[in-house]
Amino acid sequence: MSPAPPVQSKIENSKSKIRSTLRPTVDSVTTINADGSRCDIHPSDVRGPFMTARRWSGWGLIAFYLVLPWIPVNGHPAVFLDIAEGRFHFFGFTLAPQDAWLLFFGVTGLGFALFFLTALFGRLWCGWACPQTVYLEHVYRVIERWIDGDAPARRALQAAPLTASKAAKRLAKHGLYIVASLFITHLFLSYFVSLPEVWHMMHEAPGEHWAAFVFVFAAAGLLYFNFAWFREQLCIVICPYGRLQSALTDEHSMVIGYDAQRGEPRVKLHSHVGAELARSSNMLSQDRASSAPTVAIAAFGACIDCNRCVQVCPTGIDIRHGLQLECIGCAACIDACDEVMTKVSRPKGLIRYDSLVKLAGGRTRWIRPRTVVYGILLLIGVGVASFAFSTVKPASFLVYRMTGAAYFVDRNDVRNQFMVRLVNKRATPAVLTVSTEGVPASVAQTGFAAPVTIPALGEQVSPLVLSVDRKTYFGPFHFTVTVRDAAGTYQLSRAVEFMGPESKLLEEEDLENGIKR
Amino acid sequence: MNPSSSNPPPDDSGITLRPHTYDGIQEYDQRLPNWWLYTLYGAIAFAIVFWFAHMIAHVLPTNEALLEARLAEIAAVKLASSIDVTNDRLFWDMSRNPVFVDAGKQTFNSLCVACHLASLKGKGENPAAVGPNLTDQAWIHGGTPKELYATVAKGVLAKGMPAWEPVLGQKKTAEVVAFVLSHHEPGEPITIEVPK
Repeated sequence: MSPAPPVQSKIENSKSKIRSTLRPTVDSVTTINADGSRCDIHPSDVRGPFMTARRWSGWGLIAFYLVLPWIPVNGHPAVFLDIAEGRFHFFGFTLAPQDAWLLFFGVTGLGFALFFLTALFGRLWCGWACPQTVYLEHVYRVIERWIDGDAPARRALQAAPLTASKAAKRLAKHGLYIVASLFITHLFLSYFVSLPEVWHMMHEAPGEHWAAFVFVFAAAGLLYFNFAWFREQLCIVICPYGRLQSALTDEHSMVIGYDAQRGEPRVKLHSHVGAELARSSNMLSQDRASSAPTVAIAAFGACIDCNRCVQVCPTGIDIRHGLQLECIGCAACIDACDEVMTKVSRPKGLIRYDSLVKLAGGRTRWIRPRTVVYGILLLIGVGVASFAFSTVKPASFLVYRMTGAAYFVDRNDVRNQFMVRLVNKRATPAVLTVSTEGVPASVAQTGFAAPVTIPALGEQVSPLVLSVDRKTYFGPFHFTVTVRDAAGTYQLSRAVEFMGPESKLLEEEDLENGIKR
Repeated sequence: MNPSSSNPPPDDSGITLRPHTYDGIQEYDQRLPNWWLYTLYGAIAFAIVFWFAHMIAHVLPTNEALLEARLAEIAAVKLASSIDVTNDRLFWDMSRNPVFVDAGKQTFNSLCVACHLASLKGKGENPAAVGPNLTDQAWIHGGTPKELYATVAKGVLAKGMPAWEPVLGQKKTAEVVAFVLSHHEPGEPITIEVPK
């Protein structure tokens, strides 16, 4: 980014005959022309505290995404959704498909957190954290700025006929776009198959790994199309979350707004009135006790109608028309306006984060039914999710009946045959003891006499057979199967039913056959 | 508050209103984005072409045909690795090969021991055990290798012996049979025993 000259828009405009002719209205979308064709937005460079903060947070998020697959935790990448093995690793915490129910609490917890934040602070997500904005602003637009120059230069280049130099620039820009898209998608794939595997696949012919190859190139193509051309159309036309957020905010939510009470009526700095105003405000700032201004300041607003807020907007709106659905809350217009206000010695904050109520002269209410309800939902969501995740054990098990009849009765005994499936979710072998509780002393049990060792991330299915001597049989009963680890750090149990006929029936059968009991 | 009220009126050139009014609400007549319209037209064109190719011209394979082809592929893989489970000689050969016997022993020790015990002797060792003795020369459901395989593969459901082939697959089932046969000699006498 070039250093910002004073009131940059004027410099930009004088530098080039190609002016930004954007005159956004609230009646139609700026980026769609009346004939339905696309109107490309070339946002001007902007500098300021919000832009700086957004750059750092954006690059931080990108670094977070790029780095996770490289950091091993407990022998696996920090975040590794191992689909082939059915194991999902999150910072050393491993989940199996059997834990899929946790997704419900994870997703609702995140959902309620976003509800709450949006009700309080508007579309923070869109402007600061959404991958669409983060990659577009901090990767693709940076490439574009580097190759094509600032906004007037980009506009001029777009209008210029195709020459060798334009073609070279276009090739360089789109080439870099494609490289960036391929890089992002390869890293994305590594979240599912791990980096060494991605590296290995990259060294083999595409035919060896058709699915991965098609996935990576289709996803990269989609990213390229999105970030090279589609851009803000996704936010304006497709993204349901932007629309949902609009329904979650109210007039007390923090949004980016224009203080019309202070700003209107606008006066151009070049006009006669504007010059007078500028002089008087300079006098005021230099000597507060000086004589009264020649023009009544109160009669005119602070906005000098420099259009800078429109030029920097990535979705092509005029924030002075009020809150609009296109606004992704990126705060570029705040920085742009503050810079101009500083230059003309007027207080900053003509465009700022504030509630619509406050901008209209009222008081923002932070505690209101919406924030209270969303806050309670958030607390419930976080509470239940924490509890649910704390109940996840490093192993899981299942007891089911062997194929065949539910129970067997023969000359000697009544028998139930079960299979016990033990799943070790840890990357280290687990020594597990399987025991039964609530089983009467007269019941014989085979299987699991000794502790079993389940290999790292492995599974084992073993039989458990319970039989009761026919003569002491007393009917069906319930019992519990419990799994404990060798160190005694956790245990899991399941209720199981021993099934069989009524004991009277067996007695009668034995009587008929003349068998002594 | 409506901030736009104090602004100059928006430039409404090229924007027309639809003639109708419902509850005092009027509608702009604006063109949809071209990319949106082309997506819609493309989807309609694709639907017609696909419907014609799939339902009328039958130039695309039907779902049934695709399913058949995939099942045939799976069956071919299975056939390619399957063995003749009626060949007694083959089982005897496997039972003398330590690779098969060791593999079978592992499976046996994790599954079969619950009823037949680690010694394979079952009721012969402990009358309270569930399964019969597999080391003696008396058999209930036939003692030739192919009969043994059939018993393990299909089970004896009335007695509680599960069918293992659907669980283990042919290879592992054959390994278990080889392990049991490693406790026997080819040509030894076989007696058929009816359990008391």
